[in-house]
Amino acid sequence: MENANTLLFEKPSFFQRLKGMLGVDFYRLFHTPLFYIFLGIAAVIPALVSMGGGEEGSLYTTAWQIIAAESPLYVIRDMGDYANMNMVFIFGGIMVSIFIGHDYTSGYVKQLFTTHAKKEDYMLSKTLVSAFSMVCMCVTYFLGGTVSGLFSGLSLSVNAGSLICAIFGKMLMSLGWASLYTFINILFRRKFGISIALCFVLGTGIPVIGAAALVGNSAALNIFLYGSSVQACLSSGVLSVLVCLACSCAWAAFYNAFGAFLLYHRDVY
Amino acid sequence: MNAIEIRNLTKTFGEKRAVDGLNMTVPQGAIYGFIGENGSGKSTTEKCLCGLLPPSGGEIRLFGKDYREEEVRAHIGVLIESPGCFPNYSVWNNMKLQAANLGLGHADEEIRRVLHLVRMDGAAGNKFKNCSLGMKQRIGIAFALLGSPRLLVLDEPINGLDADGMRIMREVLTELSGKGCTVLISSHILGELEKIATHYGIIRGGKMLKEMTAEQLNADCPTYVALKTDEIEKTRDILQRTYGRADIDEQTGEIRVYGAYAEEVAKYLFGNFGIAVSEIRTAKISLEEYYINLMQEGRK
Repeated sequence: MENANTLLFEKPSFFQRLKGMLGVDFYRLFHTPLFYIFLGIAAVIPALVSMGGGEEGSLYTTAWQIIAAESPLYVIRDMGDYANMNMVFIFGGIMVSIFIGHDYTSGYVKQLFTTHAKKEDYMLSKTLVSAFSMVCMCVTYFLGGTVSGLFSGLSLSVNAGSLICAIFGKMLMSLGWASLYTFINILFRRKFGISIALCFVLGTGIPVIGAAALVGNSAALNIFLYGSSVQACLSSGVLSVLVCLACSCAWAAFYNAFGAFLLYHRDVY
Repeated sequence: MNAIEIRNLTKTFGEKRAVDGLNMTVPQGAIYGFIGENGSGKSTTEKCLCGLLPPSGGEIRLFGKDYREEEVRAHIGVLIESPGCFPNYSVWNNMKLQAANLGLGHADEEIRRVLHLVRMDGAAGNKFKNCSLGMKQRIGIAFALLGSPRLLVLDEPINGLDADGMRIMREVLTELSGKGCTVLISSHILGELEKIATHYGIIRGGKMLKEMTAEQLNADCPTYVALKTDEIEKTRDILQRTYGRADIDEQTGEIRVYGAYAEEVAKYLFGNFGIAVSEIRTAKISLEEYYINLMQEGRK
């Protein structure tokens, strides 16, 4: 028998741990049909919405309003103000809930936490992979929105810089949203039906829209995820992108820290 | 230094104390049979040890370090209840994912090695959901063996295994123990446990009732003479007077005489009382009987 005092254990570095976990999560993401289904949904939705005006005509005046609103509107006046790339954060929530829910229902999370994996690594890995999936959905939404915009006969005039800032801002927001959804899922664990419902409610931005109904079209609402997502619009500039980045990173840090705390202090599954 | 040292471990679920001030010491290289009734706190203790449940109190040290330190956790193989596998992935892919989480180099080689150890080489391509219960248990053991851990924690690993599976399990665990790997194994199949365990811990109501080595158990499990006659009560009384302790086994209808030799007992009964013995044999108290007696004494 080996002498206990000679036993040396190598401490896996943060990057070693995260590399392994990200490898697993990306493998799972690319091998789940769910991901491709949601990419497809994200591409089709803008086409459906752009045709949604029926006999009264299109919801939009320009093709790019399918991507983002003209100005940062927290108060919704009609569906045209509301139905833009922010919808990706609704589908994203559902996808992330099913994705993380499988970790719990399969017992993978139990197997994972018996290894050297740390709880904060898990939060970070899930957040990054979920954010990546939502960024991909933003891309397919953009492609679907552009094609449907071209075919709808709407005006294509736009400030290209603002459009790029809007898209980039919404992509950056994916990180914050992904961390919120990851947090919700570790809160409800294998009960991912509840997670889906809660992600849906928060993803629609109902709380912020409700608050906006009281306080009006106030930039103060930017501190919330949906508020910042609204900031990414067709009048955006670099400052709007920075607001999105700061808000997204701040919420991601908060939800990751809170989620890791929760994982450390209660039963894993 | 011990592989596992648990001091005053407590775990509560609401008002219920599942583990209540448990102490446990598992020396390195031991195969530690962790025994207890359903709901006695075995699995809860193991889950605390593996980082799946945060303890409510107490201390857990693995190889002298806090059980939460990742350098120690990287060397633990675990099978709690069932392996955590994605049902739609193949066994191979599930193992690749676990190998990635463990950061194993030469993952393919390692997976082949552990699958071969549990004789599951042929099942690598099967979807996990299509595997039988016994296959899943073997795969779970292979999961736990990935990366050659220094400590194996196995919760009911022989449930669902066939005779061949149990034999393979015995061989694998004995070999690993010989190489210095410590094994903590809980099981209700005490006959199987008795064949491999070097140490035992008996838990009851969340407390450690007794810890002992296989040698101590052996000393505590006396040999006895089991015999059958037509006059059970009378024979029992005679043997009790003569040898001090004789019991009737209600299930088999045998009389058990402790501290005696079979031939001597048979001659004594026939020569002095004319009692003919129809069957006689020498046996030893098994772990199962020892455990049942201990539990019954505890209840009294």
